[in-house]
Amino acid sequence: MRTACIIPAFNEETTISRIVSEALKHCHMVLVVDDNSQDRTSEMSHQAGATVITHILRLGTGGALSTGFRASLKADFEAFVTMDGDGQHSPNEIPIVLDPILKGQADIVVGSRLLKQPKSMPLRKRIGNKILSIVTSFASGTKITDSQSGFRAYRREVLEYAMHRARDYRWASEMLLLAAKANFRIKEVPVTAIYLPKRQRGADIGDGLKILYSTMKRS
Amino acid sequence: MEPYEIVATTFGAVMLLLTIRELIRRKKGLLQYSFWIALWIALILMGTVPQFYYTLLFVTQALGMYTPIHFVTTFSVLVLFGAAYYLGKRIAELDDKLSAVVQHIALQTANTRTVGPKKEREGA
Repeated sequence: MRTACIIPAFNEETTISRIVSEALKHCHMVLVVDDNSQDRTSEMSHQAGATVITHILRLGTGGALSTGFRASLKADFEAFVTMDGDGQHSPNEIPIVLDPILKGQADIVVGSRLLKQPKSMPLRKRIGNKILSIVTSFASGTKITDSQSGFRAYRREVLEYAMHRARDYRWASEMLLLAAKANFRIKEVPVTAIYLPKRQRGADIGDGLKILYSTMKRS
Repeated sequence: MEPYEIVATTFGAVMLLLTIRELIRRKKGLLQYSFWIALWIALILMGTVPQFYYTLLFVTQALGMYTPIHFVTTFSVLVLFGAAYYLGKRIAELDDKLSAVVQHIALQTANTRTVGPKKEREGA
């Protein structure tokens, strides 16, 4: 099954090269969507062998993923993997996330950081993630432990039918809700999460409240 | 003429001239500036035509307010609320359009650029 890996990236010059190189071992194409980085993210991605698309203005993770989906749907890929470019996810676990898709067991696979090492996530984020996952599970009718994980795999049909509109972190829950409403099968698999002490990325409380409101509105 | 009438008239006149100059310079529609033109004219009238003030007093009392300043303040706040709502909606629309343009440019640029080296996975 031809697979594309889509990585939204913003100022990830220190990690993107390694991520792309490792992801290329498991996917036919790696597409890095550079969300108007101010460093050498694009250059490093290209050197590592990725196809690079660049935004002239920063749109956010959801916007970058949307661009990546639209670009890669033009080719004949049957499965798509998304992951973060900051080194939080291990590209060597791409086969784990892809496996249920290849076996026909699921249409969307979410790599849950909480199934394997629940305490690896910082407490503040864990609490927020828990609340959002409970609400997303309730709204979608599917038990989801890590609704905010960006490490996912999709069958092509899912992206052709359900494309998120949110440009910020709300995309994560929105995509699951759209898919659930269209009766696509959602499955979770455990993946490793790597939290570097110096890196402080991800949604904050304000984003969390926006995601919560958006999810409740869609349920 | 009372001092406040002089101030109101002068301020209204200056703002009216600036607004008309802006209207001529930008060549934008009259509708866009009509609210401001009406406001400056009302200010000038309040300062120059005493009967206008009494009309305002009548409207104020009809609405159950004590003085015209209460009416003006309340009316101004309501107008600002409406303006804020409209501007928020407009900004959201423009934000959506801007994102669509950014994505379109990114996809168009990707189409015209050569694709980066692809590595085929063995046994795929």
